[in-house]
Amino acid sequence: MKVAFVVQRYGLEINGGAELHCRWVAEHLRRYFEVEVLTTRALDYVTWRNHYPEGLTTVNGVPVRRFPVKRPRNPERFGRVQELIFHHEHGEEDELRWLEEEGPLTPALIEYIKGHRDDYDYFIFFSYRYYHSYWGINAVPEKSLLVPTAERDPVTTLGIFRELFRKPRAFVYNSPEERAMINALAQNEAVPGDVVGVGTEAPAAAVPGRFRSRHGLEGDYLLYLGRIDENKGCRQLFDHFLRFKRETGSPAKLVLVGATILRIPAHPDLLYLGFLGEEDKFDGLAGAAALVMPSFYESLSMVTLEAWAMGRPVLANGQCEVLKGQCLRSNGGLFYETYEEFKEGLGLLLADARLREVLGANGRRYFEANYTWATIENKYLAILNSLRGA
Amino acid sequence: MNDGKTNQPEDKPIRIDYDRVDVADIMAQVRARIAARPAPPAETEAPAPRPDLQTGQPASPAPDGGEGRSRAKGRLLKLMKPVTPLIKLAILPVNEELVRTVRVLDHANKQLDYLTAKFDRDIHRVESQLSERLGRIDTQLAITKENVKLLHALSHNLVVELTKLKIEHEALRNKVRVLEKDFETLGRRERALEKRPRR
Repeated sequence: MKVAFVVQRYGLEINGGAELHCRWVAEHLRRYFEVEVLTTRALDYVTWRNHYPEGLTTVNGVPVRRFPVKRPRNPERFGRVQELIFHHEHGEEDELRWLEEEGPLTPALIEYIKGHRDDYDYFIFFSYRYYHSYWGINAVPEKSLLVPTAERDPVTTLGIFRELFRKPRAFVYNSPEERAMINALAQNEAVPGDVVGVGTEAPAAAVPGRFRSRHGLEGDYLLYLGRIDENKGCRQLFDHFLRFKRETGSPAKLVLVGATILRIPAHPDLLYLGFLGEEDKFDGLAGAAALVMPSFYESLSMVTLEAWAMGRPVLANGQCEVLKGQCLRSNGGLFYETYEEFKEGLGLLLADARLREVLGANGRRYFEANYTWATIENKYLAILNSLRGA
Repeated sequence: MNDGKTNQPEDKPIRIDYDRVDVADIMAQVRARIAARPAPPAETEAPAPRPDLQTGQPASPAPDGGEGRSRAKGRLLKLMKPVTPLIKLAILPVNEELVRTVRVLDHANKQLDYLTAKFDRDIHRVESQLSERLGRIDTQLAITKENVKLLHALSHNLVVELTKLKIEHEALRNKVRVLEKDFETLGRRERALEKRPRR
């Protein structure tokens, strides 16, 4: 069996989102069948400018075929079309124009899929909202699986995607909430699928002391991992955390790890550490009082799973249905929707070491039951085998 | 149930069964506790008045106390003037301010370190891209130079060949002129011979 993974970007430099999800799944499934990645030459997700060389290369043992982006995204033009389709009456042509402006515009990739449909048994498309998935699934619907990585944002409501969600042979969802949302939008219950998600590999042992001494940290700290961005709820997190400190006098710190595109308030207890290596990241997680996850939109939070893999509790934004659902199913974290709930939740976690330990242990059990690589691989194999059997 | 926990004495305690923690139950208790509280004070309440650095007194407006009180206050301040620095030191949270400032500076320093490292990485990346592009441009330039040299030699050869051809052309034209004249002479001779009476 030969399976193509089709994704908007692919490379070792891309350390998050659907792209990393795709890379990890491709690298794990190549043990079971022949795998090839079909992607673009883009590295930057804002402009999709060509970066990688065209043609066939190998990344961590996986063959990767890259196709050129015909035209980089023009943010101004894209913004104008987006304004039209989100706030004004529009037709299907406008939505397709939006899709083309969003990119990555790679007609060569779609032509390749059309021309080589018989060379592959299945095409697994990642991220429903981009050009490659829409036109790729329309080119080979009978051979396509979709990993939508959908969040509850306005894009999901576009008419072109309602149609798209009825076309693939099967879905690989990230969470029950994502499945329910897509089913409700597209009435596509008839399309088979399973909630799978993605695994992670936590180190056998992490050394919190090493992290503390390396970064001069003392006392309790909350950890945030990921892009520091208003869209990820970071501005609200800063407001809530600083207000919590003012009101309670807590000495807790908030440690921020990741690239930032948001100005971080200057405060001695907001520590920004930039990018960290894997070892340092897991050391930090192991020593944190909790991982805080303030994002409003997530289809599956990999760092939440990593925190649970390390046996640490999570304090999540309950306005994100996926995060709230994960906390409730795992009993591995608390959530908040208002500042008062944030204050109560964080207060409980900081004051009660036993609660932290129990929540962390629950999280770890939930992770081991659902998100180890063996479980993820078996779920993918079961879906593909059921399609072959059908 | 094992034991109860509470953050504020007046709040209803949140009961947690540590053997079977139920997040939904904890969150329900948290919400009930929040709902039972009176409306929270506005977040935008005025900050506590800071002491005036000139006088060491809170910067709040002086209550109405009449002229006598202000005069007494003035005398008191005059008397206290020599020990004002000591009073300031005692009143102001100097150490706390200092620690806080050091922390802010440390934070800024860490940010600077990160940004410097990022800047270095970016510069290095741009440099390597530039040197790669410059290398390509050098190669192109060398090829272009060679092409120009070849074109120059070709032009020179063309000029030489054209000159030669022109000379040859002139010679051939002269030859044609001579042949034309010979032909005319032979024609005249032919006509003269034809006029001679045959024997």
